[in-house]
Amino acid sequence: MLRTIVAIMAAKIIINVSRRFGNQGTVLAGRVALWLDPGILKKLAARVRGQIIIITGTNGKTTTSNMIAQILHANGNSVVHNQAGANMLNGITTAFIAASNLTASRHWDYALLETDEANVAPLLNEVNARQLLITNFFRDQLDRFGELDRTIRLISEGVKGRNIRLWLNADDPLMTGLPVETGLSCSYYGFAATPYDTLHNQDSREGRYCMLCGEEIEYQSFHFAQLGAFYCPNCGNTNPVPDYLGSDLQLDHNITMKINNLEVTSPYQGFYNAYNILAAVAVSKGMGIADAVIREAIARFQPQAGRMERFTVGSKEATLILVKNPTGFNQSLQALLNDHRSKNLFLALNDNAADGRDVSWIWDADLESLASAGAGISLLVCSGLRSGDMAVRVKYAGVDQELIQIESDLDPAIQKALSGPGKVNYILSTYTALFQCRKILLRLQAEYAPSVVRERA
Amino acid sequence: MARFTIAHLYPDLMNLYGDRGNLVCLQKRLQWRGHECHIYSVGIGQNIDFGAIDMVFMGGGSDREQGLVYGDLIKRADAFRQAIEADLPVLCICGAYQLLGESYIAADGQRLQGLGFFNIVTRVAQPRLIGNILLETDLVGQKTTVVGFENHGGRTFLNDQRLKPFGRVVKGHGNNGQDGFEGMKYRNLVGTYLHGPLLPKNPSVADFFIKAMAARRGMSSTITPLYDTIETFAHQQVKYKILNS
Ligand SMILES: [Zn+2]
Repeated sequence: MLRTIVAIMAAKIIINVSRRFGNQGTVLAGRVALWLDPGILKKLAARVRGQIIIITGTNGKTTTSNMIAQILHANGNSVVHNQAGANMLNGITTAFIAASNLTASRHWDYALLETDEANVAPLLNEVNARQLLITNFFRDQLDRFGELDRTIRLISEGVKGRNIRLWLNADDPLMTGLPVETGLSCSYYGFAATPYDTLHNQDSREGRYCMLCGEEIEYQSFHFAQLGAFYCPNCGNTNPVPDYLGSDLQLDHNITMKINNLEVTSPYQGFYNAYNILAAVAVSKGMGIADAVIREAIARFQPQAGRMERFTVGSKEATLILVKNPTGFNQSLQALLNDHRSKNLFLALNDNAADGRDVSWIWDADLESLASAGAGISLLVCSGLRSGDMAVRVKYAGVDQELIQIESDLDPAIQKALSGPGKVNYILSTYTALFQCRKILLRLQAEYAPSVVRERA
Repeated sequence: MARFTIAHLYPDLMNLYGDRGNLVCLQKRLQWRGHECHIYSVGIGQNIDFGAIDMVFMGGGSDREQGLVYGDLIKRADAFRQAIEADLPVLCICGAYQLLGESYIAADGQRLQGLGFFNIVTRVAQPRLIGNILLETDLVGQKTTVVGFENHGGRTFLNDQRLKPFGRVVKGHGNNGQDGFEGMKYRNLVGTYLHGPLLPKNPSVADFFIKAMAARRGMSSTITPLYDTIETFAHQQVKYKILNS
């Protein structure tokens, strides 16, 4: 017991000190606590009275778990929720400690634990989770050589034999092996046909082979990437019937859709976010939360840092978007190309560990779409530690060389982009440049804000 | 102005990130010089006429995929080998490079047969050799630097007198992390672990292949210089990063 208190105290001090220095101390605090008391995560997790829900998958983990958290808060529940980027055991331990009191006696209704696929098994050894939500499987820039197969196998082996329900994307053929291999009960969420579906997909090379028999699968239509209506001509493997069906999807300006009988509207944009909403609503409905609470929480939930966050600098709008892999990049490009105004585009590429040291992945994103006649690109500023790679990429994508400028330093680069001739600005950045970009945009927003003279009441 | 054809072997199975960049680079640099460039994909069991193409490109894949590719490629091995002897430009990256050798010994000790064109052996060992890499090469007749990214578990050893390495490692691991060499070169064939991708940031290497393609068509060996400011900037940026890391 004393050991636990010491561990919590030490971790809380680290959290406080690092907050003062502007970061969250998310990894170090947990690491120190686990070193002082290796059983601490187990103890704290046992204080969750209701459910522990793990959220994993390649894209959309953060948005989806934030949405579920919003719904649970709106429902009046207490929730432990780890932060994006702090999703290994250390970061999750920090989240529990930050929410705990010194004697570890505080209880919570729910824990929402966002984690990478490879961390699911180790996490399950520590916490007794009964729900596992998987968003999707795409190849990340760090993955190579059939890594995705291995990732799926890691999850499958990690959950096998446990008392846990899987929440799976019914439109992702890569998930079809999981119920068979694990024998666990599964709930499915998926979309009916939408007006945005295509008959061909250009941007994915995953999920072409049946997870059950290895034959090439066929598609009736694609929502995007490998997500769509599929069937295997050899063994008959096809989309499971969704327990939570998204229909009447509409993606202009915001997202509206029906999930079973519940109509929702969200200020988010893009098909990928429609999936995040669908998954969050499915899990919430599954936990018995009332439709009215869900609808209200989804309507109020605003995009977060780098997930289509809007700024106003002077008279111009700037939208900040995080990009981290080809599928996400394509979705972001699609969203900005749906905006038909002329635009200044800023692309920051870093190659720190959290971005992926190998920048090859940008060649698998469809930057060619920026060179099309209707793209409306007025200026394209390439920035970040690998500004050169980005500039070469867009040059070979066919973007007019006259429009390409290189400025590796983020601050002057953003200012250069914002002073371009386009009507709107899109600021795209990989992970480790994102928060700096956001700071710069916030500063510029404040600098150029029209001064308001207030009268005394 | 000519129409060039590049065969991309097994893009469905051998598809490292960035492979596409090498092909886009060759295609654009031919187009900017007024030529046409047609890239066509060759899958398992599909026909390929080595006499009718100007270049072959092949990337890397997992062990399982490499096994499938080997099974198909071994059937056309004679024609492929003759084309290489006849100076066909060929670029083989990672898995494709390993496949040119005698064998590939996987992590579990299993021995995968290679095409056996050269006396090259690859053995998998820990750790994977990952990171930015800088080479010096005399591929184009004068010393130039090459930048890229390597990520391979295999240690490759060249035991073949006919082969030259693609380059000398200035910083990074190279073929095996021991002898200071990277890749292989034989006639107009280059095998290498470099991606990132290789050609767009190393336009002189791209132009080596274009010159070789043009020469085989009986065209002049001097090609129109291009305005490579952006490519050169990217090359220098990575080179500077590597030298200062
Ligand atoms: Zn099947």
